[in-house]
Amino acid sequence: MVLVLALGDLHIPHRAADLPPKFKSMLVPGKIQHIICTGNLCIKEVQEYLKTLCPDLHITRGEYDDETRYPETKTLTIGQFKLGLCHGHQVIPWGDLDSLAMLQRQLDVDILVTGHTHQFTAYKHEGGVVINPGSATGAFSSITYDVNPSFVLMDIDGLRVVVYVYELIDGEVKVDKIDFKKTAASTHSAH
Amino acid sequence: MLKGKKLNLPDRLGSLLAGFEDKDGDSGGSGSALDLGEELEIIQPNRFRSGRESESDDEDGEVQEEAMVKRKLEVDEELEHHGRQPRHQKDGSDHISVVKTIEDDEKRSDIEYEISQKMINVGKLQRIVGTGLPDGGNLRPTVWKLLLGYLPPSRDLWEKELIENRQKYAKLKEELLLTPSELARIKEEALHSNEHNNADSGTDGPLIRHEISHEDHPLSLGKASVWHQYFEHIDIAEQIDRDLQRTHPEMKFFSGESSFSRRHRESMRNILLLFSKLNPAIRYVQGMNEVLAPIYYVFSTDTDVQNASNAEADSFACFVLLLSDSVDHFCEQLDNSSVGILFTLSRLAELLKANDEELWRHLEFTTKASLMEYYAFRWITLLLTQEFNLQSILRIWDSLLSNPFGVQEMLLRVCCAMLLCAKSRLLSGDFAANLRLLQHYPDIDIEHLLKVAQDISPDTSSFCLTL
Repeated sequence: MVLVLALGDLHIPHRAADLPPKFKSMLVPGKIQHIICTGNLCIKEVQEYLKTLCPDLHITRGEYDDETRYPETKTLTIGQFKLGLCHGHQVIPWGDLDSLAMLQRQLDVDILVTGHTHQFTAYKHEGGVVINPGSATGAFSSITYDVNPSFVLMDIDGLRVVVYVYELIDGEVKVDKIDFKKTAASTHSAH
Repeated sequence: MLKGKKLNLPDRLGSLLAGFEDKDGDSGGSGSALDLGEELEIIQPNRFRSGRESESDDEDGEVQEEAMVKRKLEVDEELEHHGRQPRHQKDGSDHISVVKTIEDDEKRSDIEYEISQKMINVGKLQRIVGTGLPDGGNLRPTVWKLLLGYLPPSRDLWEKELIENRQKYAKLKEELLLTPSELARIKEEALHSNEHNNADSGTDGPLIRHEISHEDHPLSLGKASVWHQYFEHIDIAEQIDRDLQRTHPEMKFFSGESSFSRRHRESMRNILLLFSKLNPAIRYVQGMNEVLAPIYYVFSTDTDVQNASNAEADSFACFVLLLSDSVDHFCEQLDNSSVGILFTLSRLAELLKANDEELWRHLEFTTKASLMEYYAFRWITLLLTQEFNLQSILRIWDSLLSNPFGVQEMLLRVCCAMLLCAKSRLLSGDFAANLRLLQHYPDIDIEHLLKVAQDISPDTSSFCLTL
């Protein structure tokens, strides 16, 4: 049972001051084993805050990040799953499923986590999953209207991952759940 | 018919201990003392004497309890006078080991006879076991289960009881020890056995979102949430793990990284975690692992394969039974109450006073502090598991479990005996030295210690707690 927090696009301090207090009260250290962050934090203080939640922190570079040394993409293996991380502004058209699928094949991962659109989505595509955790602060985006703060917590347990989606809608935290089972046969072979 | 023997019992006890201290570690005071003890039971004084260069002592043929003890004391006195004795006398030792084996065999067959009865006479068993269980013959697991009340006296009911209890344990584990994600998975598989599989293997596209309640997610802060409770117990689990790493580090059974010891630690972890979940008032207290260790060790080294494989379930039940009358010692709120640890300590003080007022007075007043809390606390709450090695603990627990007046009663007597046996050193020591001595209790012949404990007048009328 491994808990992985996926979030991004906070745009602190440029577009948002901080995480919503309701989110902050839930995110306590000691529960989460890994954090993957799509990017656009933007300042070091946010990275330090995330580090207090969990020492294992992975970040990819968003176009507004102060820290220039984050990688463009990152892959990691947690349990039976291979996760890929990328901010998403590099993949054009932004948010396009087929283009993201190309990136997924390129990185050869089961779960691809990208951001940039500030909109939560979760797609199943060719045996893998593409997840966009949205913006954890609900920061303004030129491509999405009415952004709700959201983030994602994945519970990886063997061949099964349960994705908990936390969204702040009208001041209330709503939690949804998505189940995904990796079939043993769906190993990505080079096409 | 002993001529010219000094009868100052307490003094000798003290010097007895001191005598052991003088011998060096490798010969092992307790070892030679045991030989001597056995020798005294032989009604062949001349043979005994021939092995030693000693002044002639008149012997009588009787082997009375008191005489035995006194003679043993004198022999030890001689040892002190004559310095180091070679550990094995040529003739004596063969004779000793033969006699001991014969005795063990007799005891073993006695016990086997007792436990093979249809209706077991627990009182009789208690009496025999009070003198210690022989090592061979795999008697300890069954006898302990009988003495603790896990197995009923009627032999026919054993099978049924065992199966029932083991099933109960498995069920408890299922309910309380699974991680929340496993629980969620099982729940789901029960609900959507077919639907989900189809949906998954089928179409690509947006994944279906299912709304869930506020209790059901990992970051939930609600008290009723499975996740919240799980995370609360993580701290306890970590503490248990840390303590288990430190249990009996010298034994391969418990420590080290082999899959063998890992499996044992995992079983013990389950037991302790389950116990802490079922008893939220005391949860887990450091040291419970030490109390569990002998029980689990004895049950898993049962040569009966079925019993050994169910050692975890049996140990859990017996652990609960053993702690049932001393569990209040662990609860801090009850410290000052009439069932708490302080009351028990005062009982121990009273017992000491009744048996040896001089020592009691010295400990209470001359050292100007109530020492009891510093050392006896650990003796009593952990049932002496931290003071001796595992073999000694097993022997002591034989006596504790077989006491007809209960474990606690005998425990107090053994503690009192420990104090009496160290009397001369305690009398000559100040606060710091005494504390050091009692917190690292020196090696002593266990049989002797238990004999002293047996000799202490129980005074059970006033001390027996009404249940």
